[in-house]
Amino acid sequence: MKKYLEFVWAILAILTVFAYLLGYLKIISTFFVAVLLFTTFIKGQLVIDYFMGLKDVRLRYRIIPTLWLSIIITLIGVAYYLPIAPSQ
Amino acid sequence: MSQNIAIKEKYPPGDFAVWIIIYVELITFGLLFLGYAFSRRGDVAMFNESQLMLNQTSGFINTLILVTSSYFVIKAVKAITSMSEESIAEANAKASKWLLLAIGCGVAFGFVKGAEFYHIFGQGINLSTNKFFMFYIMLTAFHFMHVMLGTFILFVIYKKTKTEGYIFGDYRGIETGASYWHMVDLLWIVLFPLVYIIR
Repeated sequence: MKKYLEFVWAILAILTVFAYLLGYLKIISTFFVAVLLFTTFIKGQLVIDYFMGLKDVRLRYRIIPTLWLSIIITLIGVAYYLPIAPSQ
Repeated sequence: MSQNIAIKEKYPPGDFAVWIIIYVELITFGLLFLGYAFSRRGDVAMFNESQLMLNQTSGFINTLILVTSSYFVIKAVKAITSMSEESIAEANAKASKWLLLAIGCGVAFGFVKGAEFYHIFGQGINLSTNKFFMFYIMLTAFHFMHVMLGTFILFVIYKKTKTEGYIFGDYRGIETGASYWHMVDLLWIVLFPLVYIIR
């Protein structure tokens, strides 16, 4: 696929517009936060694989930013969804 | 029986030292992101109220600017890495064109962010206003400094392409600078929804 970089850019731009619209239209909800975190992971992984060029590199180097992204996104989700104990 | 084996590069593109820097930066920003996310749990209402004072549109524009600049940078890298011994001048000229666009994006990011800071600081907000703004200022100002450094690095690479400094087989410099720039983009991709959108 010759134009794959243009395709990656288009996906990044579309997902960015999607994130903005969630905020702008004030339709962000607990469901959409999960969707937003998932799309953020996709965006980050596209940058890691295609812009940083780690797709064609041995797994031991590619896995570091991917693990970073997975852990950060997961923990942000945990911080958001974990019930907050009522204050005494 | 034929086997379809993908040949992987032994090391990531660019100088290996920049990857050490990238991994350290990712950890540093990662801790700040988590600090923000878990601090928010302490006073969700205050974080949500403070977040309304941010301009989501400028955050959105800056995200588009950064992902577009990353596209320009990878196009410059591809122009250089796909050169032949006969096309050195042409490849450097092509790369310089893409790099100039990427530098323009870096400068544009600076203007948008500067306008946002001007608006925020003009309202008397500072690091000690509340925990939300402490994280907001720390994260975005720290990231802003990385964008400025990245723009300077791209400018240095651009100058080298203007003198046809990249020759066949010598890609390390441009790949190193590009890797740093993509890291700056990657950090903002997480920062934007976390600080500007999620509530």
